[in-house]
Amino acid sequence: MGVTCVCQLPLAEGKSVQQTIDILHKKLEQLGAVKQGSFTVDCETYHATGNASGQPTKLLYVMHNSETPLSCLALFEGGPCLTADGNFDVLMIKLKSHFQNAKGHKVESRGSRYRYCDFLIKVGAVTMSSSARGISVEVEYCPCVVPGDCWNLMKEFMQSFLGPSIPELPSVFSSKPEGLYAPVDCVDTMTQYLELFGRVRKQQVLPGTTR
Amino acid sequence: MADAMNVGVNLEAFSQAITAIQALRSSVTRVFDSLKDGMKNKETLEGREKVFITEFQDNLQSVNRDLNELERLSTLVGRPSESHPLHNSGLLSLDPVQDKTPLYSQLLQAYKWSNKLQYHAGLASSLLNQQSLKRSANQMGASAKRRPKVQPSTLVLPPQYVDDVISRIGRMFPDMSIELFRPNGTSAVLLVTLGKVLKAVVVMRSLFIDRTIVRGFNENVHSEDGKLDIWSKSNYQVFQKVTDHATTALLHYQLPQMPDVVVRSFMTWLRSYIKLFQTPCQRCGKFLQEGLPPTWRDFRTLEAFHDTCRQ
Repeated sequence: MGVTCVCQLPLAEGKSVQQTIDILHKKLEQLGAVKQGSFTVDCETYHATGNASGQPTKLLYVMHNSETPLSCLALFEGGPCLTADGNFDVLMIKLKSHFQNAKGHKVESRGSRYRYCDFLIKVGAVTMSSSARGISVEVEYCPCVVPGDCWNLMKEFMQSFLGPSIPELPSVFSSKPEGLYAPVDCVDTMTQYLELFGRVRKQQVLPGTTR
Repeated sequence: MADAMNVGVNLEAFSQAITAIQALRSSVTRVFDSLKDGMKNKETLEGREKVFITEFQDNLQSVNRDLNELERLSTLVGRPSESHPLHNSGLLSLDPVQDKTPLYSQLLQAYKWSNKLQYHAGLASSLLNQQSLKRSANQMGASAKRRPKVQPSTLVLPPQYVDDVISRIGRMFPDMSIELFRPNGTSAVLLVTLGKVLKAVVVMRSLFIDRTIVRGFNENVHSEDGKLDIWSKSNYQVFQKVTDHATTALLHYQLPQMPDVVVRSFMTWLRSYIKLFQTPCQRCGKFLQEGLPPTWRDFRTLEAFHDTCRQ
C-alpha cells in the first residue's frame, strides 16, 4: 500500500456524471492503463445518542472499502479511528441505543479500478440515496511510502489525465510531521474519502433538497 | 498453376478411389453376411453345401476384384506433393473453413517467428562469445591456467575482514543501514535499507558482489520461513528496473585487485536512489516516462535519467 490521493473531479461542461466518467475512462485507456475489476467505498453515518449532558452529538462514520474486504473502519468526527473486523456492523446494531443510524445518509462511491505501471487509479461515481452526486478519483502510487517524496511525481501523473484540475497535497499528509509514512491499513485513504463525502453531502444541501 | 491442375486430377482419382473403397467394404460385408447366415435350407445335404460354397466363392471373388480396382486407383492418386516448405501442414491452406479456424496463418506466423528467433539467437551468441565478461571462475582456454593464481587473494578473505569493510562502509552513509547475514557458511548476504525508499539484498562472495535484488521499502525481504529472500523480484516495475540497473552497475564497477573499493563505489551509486521519487530526469526534466520515474543513475556523476533518456 503506497501513497494515495483522493480528489473530487468537477463535472465536464454540460455533461452528466456518467458521461464525465466515460471521458475519463477513455483518457486512461489511451494512456495505456488496464482495467482491473471494480471497487466500492461506502460510508454510513451514526448519531451518538443518550449522552445526558446536553453536548452537541458527535457523529460516527462506519466505512467499508473493497480493497480491504474483511475489515471495517469506524471514524469519530475529529477524533480517534478504529479498524475492526467486518462484523463490526452487527455490533453497531446491538449498540442501537447509543448510536442511531442516520438513514438516507449513506454515501457510496462505486466504479472501475485501473492499473498503469505502478499506479492504481479508481474512478467512482459518488451516490447518495441512489442519485449520482459527483465523481471521486483515487490515485495510488504503490512503490513509495512517503507522501512528500512522490507528490510532485503524482501531480505530474494526475495532470496527464485530469488536466488542470489537480488537487493540492491532501491535508491528512500535510498535517503530519515530515517523513511519517502512510500506514499499512487505509486510514489515510478513508479519511480523504470521508472529507470528499462530506463535501458532496454539503453540495447536496445547496439546491434545497430534503432527504 | 501447375499445382492447381495437379490437385484437380488428384481430386478426380480421389473420388473414384473413395467409391472403390465403398465397394470393397460392401463386398466384404457380403462375405461375412453369407457366413453368418450359414447354409440355406435345401433338400439334400450336398445341395446345401454346394450352394453355400459357390456363394462364398462368388463373394470372395468380388472382394478380390474390388481390391484390385482400389490398388489400381491408388497408383493414380499418387503421393501428396512434398514440394511445400511446410510439408503436410501446408495442406492446411486448402481447408475451406479457414475463416473460422485461422490455423494456417497462425502456423505461418509461428514459423517466421521461430526462424527469426533462431537468427537472432545466433547473432547474440556470436556477440557474447566475443566479449565475455570474465567474472566467473570457470573460464575456458588459456585463461583457466592463469586464473587460480589470482583467485585466492581476492576470493579467500577472512570473514572478519569482510565484516570490517562492510561496517566501515555502513558508517560512511548515515541514511543507509547495512545488515550483514551469513545464512550459508562464510558467504555474506547484505540487507541494505536506503532511507524509506528501498531495500536491497546483496549477495556476496567474499568481497565480490555476486547478485543483487532491489525491492520496495514496504515489501517483504524475508520469505515465509523467515530466511532472507534472495530470489523473488519486486512486485513494482520501478524496482524491477532498478534491479536491472543495479546488476549493470555490478558489472561496471570492476577492480579485481581492490574489491573493497568496488563495494564502496557500488554502495555510493546505490545511495543516489535516496531521491528516486523526488528527482526529475536531467534530460527531459519530467518525473514520469511510461509511468516510471528516472530509474537510471549515471555511474560517474550519479545524475538521474530515464532509461530511455540516458543515451
